[in-house]
Amino acid sequence: MITLTDFLVVSAVLFCIGLYMIVSKRNAIQILIGIELILNAAILNLVAFGKYDKVNNSGQIFALFAIVLAAATTAVALAIILNVYRRYKTIDPNDINKLRD
Amino acid sequence: MEDFLHSIQILNYTVAAVALPLLAALINFCLPAKSKAAGWISTGAILLSCILSAKVFAGVWNNHEVHAQHLWFTIGKTEVFAGVLLNNLSVLMLLLVSVIALPVHIYSTAYMKNDDRYNRYFTYLSFFCFSMLALVVVDSLVLFYAFWELVGFSSYLLIGFWFTRDKAVQANKKAFIMNRVGDIGLLTAIIILFAQYHTFDIVQLFAEKGLIAQSIINNGLWVGPTGQIPALWQYVACGGIFLAVAAKSAQFPLHTWLPDAMEGPTSVSALIHAATMVAAGVFLLGRVYPMFTETELTVLAVIGCFTAFMAATIALTQNDLKRILAYSTISQLGFMILAMGVGAYASSLFHLATHAFFKCLLFLVAGIVIHQMQHIKDDNELDIDPQDISHMGGLRKKLPLTFIVAIIGALALVGLPLTSGYLSKDGILIQAFDWSENRSGWFKIIPIMALLTSWLTTFYVARLIFKVFFGEFRLLKSNPDIKLHINDGSWQYKLPLVLLAVCCLFPLFSLNPFSFEHAWLFKGLKSANFVESESIYHTFIPIVVNVLSLFVLYAVYAIYARPNSFAFPQSGFLYRLSYNQWYIDDIYKRFIVKPVLRLGSVCFWIDRRVIDGFVHLLAHVSGYIAKLSAWADQHIVDGFLHLLTRIVQRIGNFARKFQSGKVQYYLFSMLVIVLLLFVLKILI
Repeated sequence: MITLTDFLVVSAVLFCIGLYMIVSKRNAIQILIGIELILNAAILNLVAFGKYDKVNNSGQIFALFAIVLAAATTAVALAIILNVYRRYKTIDPNDINKLRD
Repeated sequence: MEDFLHSIQILNYTVAAVALPLLAALINFCLPAKSKAAGWISTGAILLSCILSAKVFAGVWNNHEVHAQHLWFTIGKTEVFAGVLLNNLSVLMLLLVSVIALPVHIYSTAYMKNDDRYNRYFTYLSFFCFSMLALVVVDSLVLFYAFWELVGFSSYLLIGFWFTRDKAVQANKKAFIMNRVGDIGLLTAIIILFAQYHTFDIVQLFAEKGLIAQSIINNGLWVGPTGQIPALWQYVACGGIFLAVAAKSAQFPLHTWLPDAMEGPTSVSALIHAATMVAAGVFLLGRVYPMFTETELTVLAVIGCFTAFMAATIALTQNDLKRILAYSTISQLGFMILAMGVGAYASSLFHLATHAFFKCLLFLVAGIVIHQMQHIKDDNELDIDPQDISHMGGLRKKLPLTFIVAIIGALALVGLPLTSGYLSKDGILIQAFDWSENRSGWFKIIPIMALLTSWLTTFYVARLIFKVFFGEFRLLKSNPDIKLHINDGSWQYKLPLVLLAVCCLFPLFSLNPFSFEHAWLFKGLKSANFVESESIYHTFIPIVVNVLSLFVLYAVYAIYARPNSFAFPQSGFLYRLSYNQWYIDDIYKRFIVKPVLRLGSVCFWIDRRVIDGFVHLLAHVSGYIAKLSAWADQHIVDGFLHLLTRIVQRIGNFARKFQSGKVQYYLFSMLVIVLLLFVLKILI
């Protein structure tokens, strides 16, 4: 039987992988993928905890909203990456440091 | 009202008379060094002073006292007044000082004319006159003390006028130091008087019914109207006054400065000996006379008598012209002190006045003689002391006027009839005998010593005159080919001599040439309770004195003026005692100067070794402490600060690392911190 704990473990693993990718990757696209992984870990948690909700399926519904919003965010992020690439001719975040003081 | 205006006028005259010499001194001070105007400015000032003093004298003498004062300053509740007091005594002195100073000034214009510091001389001379004139008119003991010091100071300047001569420097130092001893006495007396009576006012203190007159000494206490203190203080105060008098008026034991003071210009000696310096002591005695008790007066008489006798014996054998005159001054001052001591107050001041004239005259004569001897010395390039009377002789033909006035001055000093000296000196002698009449046998010694002194005076004065003016010119005998171009000098020499010589005769003082009691000066000064005694002494003393004086004169003539003159043996003890001035200088040198010098060198050694050593030790110790603290500052304080900066730097660098501008690194840092917070939360 698959318990809540199993879901949470999967979710935690996903989160950690995402976090690792964000911190260590040298490619903005891969970082974006890492962000998506973290988002999905959170969504997985929402769905898993939805079972214990008093209102029926509100967790799943909220997950759907989140997925849609994530898709929108990803689009915006990709657009930013595209613009960054145009400006710097690179998408390595280490090289993009014009904003620092 | 008229009286009041009269007083105001007299006060104005007095202040002008005193201030004019000061003004002259100030003007002369600003003149160029060789300006001949200086002499005439000073002389003019003293002439005006003289005229004003005469007016003041005419207004005050035997008339009424003038006393005016202003509040000077206030300390606590004590008000100190300063002002002018004119009574018979002070106007007499005012006139005397200015009248004596006038011929001295005229004389000086010629005497000093070749000196390089002509104007400086007259600056000092005027300042000297100012100090003395002010001294006689002030009414407060504080002011009196101030001018007393100024008189001492200006005499110091004048005695050491030729300061390039070593002897002059020694002499003025000696005069100054000896006078300091007296000044301390005067200051002590003033302080004690103030402690007892809380005032410095001479009138309040010494007037006829003043505070002193109301005080008595009772059971070892000195009881005055304002309080009482132990009687010892009265003796100390009188002792202090006596010291002051002895120092200024050259009485034993403080007389040795006066003969040395001869190192100044002769005109200055004339002034010092006649009116300004030595008169101050007798004047002080006259001012504070009521203070002295019977016993203290007797002590004064003894000291005066001893001084007179001692100085006369010393004068017998001296060969320095000025030194003889100096000892004669000491002797005559001794007479004045003796007169004060025997209660002959008026006679003492009378003698002061007459003595001023003839001593000033004799000194001016001495000045001329020395001046001419100096000429001879310079013309012929001789190696002689121009003041030594053993070179002189027969000068009466070369210096006729000088000779005549010298005779008049000498006769007055001897006290032969028809001169002023006769009046005053016989007054003193007669009153001394009257005084001893009521006392036990031992007191007879004093008048007899005085009598003896007056014959000694005759002897040394006659010796001086005969050696200088009679006989043959001894220098010519030993150096036959010298040239002599000497004469009495210009009118600036002659006029003062004639003026003073006239003043040495009796008519100026009394119309009756044989009775001192008829002298106007004596009448004006004698106390109200003076009784004219008609004792046998009044006729007896003058006859004895003068007849014997004539014998002495003849004897001296026989000894010194005759060609085949008889010479005294110069080896006896008495001769050496007299010639060496009773060894008083040697005694002082041995018992005071040497121990003081030794004390000085001991102090110097202590200063050098002990005190300086201690100071050096302190210096070293503090040097080491400074080095230690420098080290501590560098290594501990600075080190601590450097440590702090280092720590801050480290922290800064550490914190800077997080601000690398790398987005992922920020995120990583955040992650680490969150994790740390969790770990900490779990641990705590």
